Amino acid sequence: MANKMAAMILAGGKGTRLQALTRKTSKPAVFYGGKYRIIDFPLSNCANSGITDVGVLTQYESSELNAYIGNGEKWGLNGVRSLTSVLTPKQTEEGSSWYAGTADAIYQNLDWLDRVNPEYVLILSGDHIYSCTYLEMLKKHISKKADCTISVIEVPWEEASRFGILTADKEDNIVSFAEKPKNPTSNLASMGIYIFTYKTLRAMLKADAKDENSDHDFGKNIIPTMLASKKKMVAYTFRGYWKDVGTISSLHEANMDLLLSGDPNTNLYTVQGNHKIYTQDTNSAPQYIGKNASVKDSLITQGATILGSIKKCVVSGEVVVEEGAYCENTVLMTGAHVCKNAKVYDAIVGPETTIEEGEVVNEEKDGIALISK
Amino acid sequence: MNGHRIYGIVDFHTSPSLGNLTANRPLGSTSFLGRYALCDFALSNFTNSGIDNIGLLIKDHQRSILKHVGSMHAWVNNTKRGKLTVMYNEYGPLNPKTNTDARNIMENDYVLYDISADYLVFQSSHIVANIDLRPIIEEHIERGEAITIVYKKVKDIAKEFSSEANIDIDEDGYVVEFTGANKKRKGKANATMGVIVINRTVLAEVLPNYTKPYPEYSVMQIIDAVAKEGNYRVHAYEFKDFAFCIDTYENYCKHMFDMLEYKNAHALLDTNWDHLTKTHDTVPTLYGEKANVKNSYIANGCIIEGTVENCLIGRGVKIGEGTTVKDSIIFSGVNIGDKCTIENVLIDKYSIITKGKTLKGEVEGLPAYYRQGFIL
Repeated sequence: MANKMAAMILAGGKGTRLQALTRKTSKPAVFYGGKYRIIDFPLSNCANSGITDVGVLTQYESSELNAYIGNGEKWGLNGVRSLTSVLTPKQTEEGSSWYAGTADAIYQNLDWLDRVNPEYVLILSGDHIYSCTYLEMLKKHISKKADCTISVIEVPWEEASRFGILTADKEDNIVSFAEKPKNPTSNLASMGIYIFTYKTLRAMLKADAKDENSDHDFGKNIIPTMLASKKKMVAYTFRGYWKDVGTISSLHEANMDLLLSGDPNTNLYTVQGNHKIYTQDTNSAPQYIGKNASVKDSLITQGATILGSIKKCVVSGEVVVEEGAYCENTVLMTGAHVCKNAKVYDAIVGPETTIEEGEVVNEEKDGIALISK
Repeated sequence: MNGHRIYGIVDFHTSPSLGNLTANRPLGSTSFLGRYALCDFALSNFTNSGIDNIGLLIKDHQRSILKHVGSMHAWVNNTKRGKLTVMYNEYGPLNPKTNTDARNIMENDYVLYDISADYLVFQSSHIVANIDLRPIIEEHIERGEAITIVYKKVKDIAKEFSSEANIDIDEDGYVVEFTGANKKRKGKANATMGVIVINRTVLAEVLPNYTKPYPEYSVMQIIDAVAKEGNYRVHAYEFKDFAFCIDTYENYCKHMFDMLEYKNAHALLDTNWDHLTKTHDTVPTLYGEKANVKNSYIANGCIIEGTVENCLIGRGVKIGEGTTVKDSIIFSGVNIGDKCTIENVLIDKYSIITKGKTLKGEVEGLPAYYRQGFIL
């Protein structure tokens, strides 16, 4: 069934609020959960859904991300019937332009989709953390004969005004959509996951491209236009852990959610059988915990060496915490090095960043500190 | 590499039996340091030396090896040009005495005729070292040798490399005398390391001459016989870096625990020499609030809520609250419940130790072995 569905992953965003972490790379390439990058989640979800045709749309600081995605082998998306393509803006007879918005990015790659010729197209964000398959959602889309199915999650009412909010009737037909409404009429937030019937999507994107007043954005333009023109729009309610990590503190929080003391809904450790999150293998040695080390309530991946003390930490590969050093409530990204007697509290230490001997970071615990080279 | 056409062979025939540990698997595919199979070191030496065309000379239990190496993509530089060939003697396991690497090659004799390789390079699956094969092959070619074997000077061959031959060498760097493994040998020796560089045409010439009259001869014994007859001289190349041989169960455990010493781990692991292995896409390891872990290597996928000291823990091991595991080797997928006491044991894969149980090896003795799937 999934063979009829192609996936397009929007991975061009800058993620400005992640500050120095996305100065030289894009948000989907940011490290998460010790061994992963954020984009491993949507890509693994596609693989686990049996989707074989995946386009990854990149734009901002794309070299690292493009190299990482390669031919999709890390996620098994390089099989005989698979096609994984990195789709960047290109020159055409009409000239050349950057992706102006999420809808424009797909519009500019209609030729790729025409070649794959799917019946349905799944549109995903490259920077959301969740583990699922899209098969139930596709089943609903087909049985409801929908033009568009939008995955939604129930959010607390008081936070609803931060999201794109959908209102649906008893049969899950979407009746209204509002981007960040002041007075929300529902608490169903759009997750930025859409399944479109390709014919409809193609026509909508062609029309949108001609509209000079459009921002060429799914949330702002395509969805409202489809609703206004009475297309069949269906809400699919997602249950489980889902995080859009927009800021340093939400990225920190999403990391801490993985700990044994964290959010019990995270399912990295409970997914069964073939449903894994795939990522790059780093050829690292196993993790080593030293003679005088102390490791409490933490997550550590291969290649790390802990000789000092850590508490409530998420530790990536090739990280070294030297003797006498102490880290608490901290994310140590790939290659971070905490020297002797340094102390780090409530922080994210970026990739390949060194905390010097005796240095003390954020002892006053004033929010989440970002230390990055 | 440099235009030389090399065929690499990982020889699984030469490894000794380690009793129960290797009853159902070859030593080469036995776990090392929680993450590797022992043959990963030989395979990585080929990859890092630019040798992509590799044959696996399998003695028995091929499932265990094939499950690990898969399509070999983890070890080849180019997935099109890189090739893996499984070499297996169909009649071998029925006749254990003559199930030798030499007869396996005769059964798979295409390597002797295949002109795509000029030189064959052998490595044994149970010897652990970071060996750059390129200078060895360069020297072999520059000197115009027919056969080169690599050796390491050891302090006491009764205690290390006991499964290997020792060689006496003349002033010109040629082997004068081989002494095969036997119980009387002890003291300083030049131990062979299973690394042989041999011209394909030379191997093609000598193998058929010996495998018929001497069906129990290994490749190394045939080289010994060839040297004695004087048809070819055997050049010896000294390997001076860190290396060890898994020759006994005692040494298997010893070398694992030795890795907990910084100088050993540094010599083997902290190098630019990648150790490639199969990826299992395992999640990182979680430590609980009451975890107390000291001086241990731990693979990914574990959930550790108890005390772990001086241990080597494989993938996906669970250690419950209030449990203490000391001086032990725990293989992948073992589940140890709450409030257990585990000391000086080796627990093989997928075993389950239920709540409150105690499992101890003899004090000062070797770690007691508990088989795969053991339930207590």
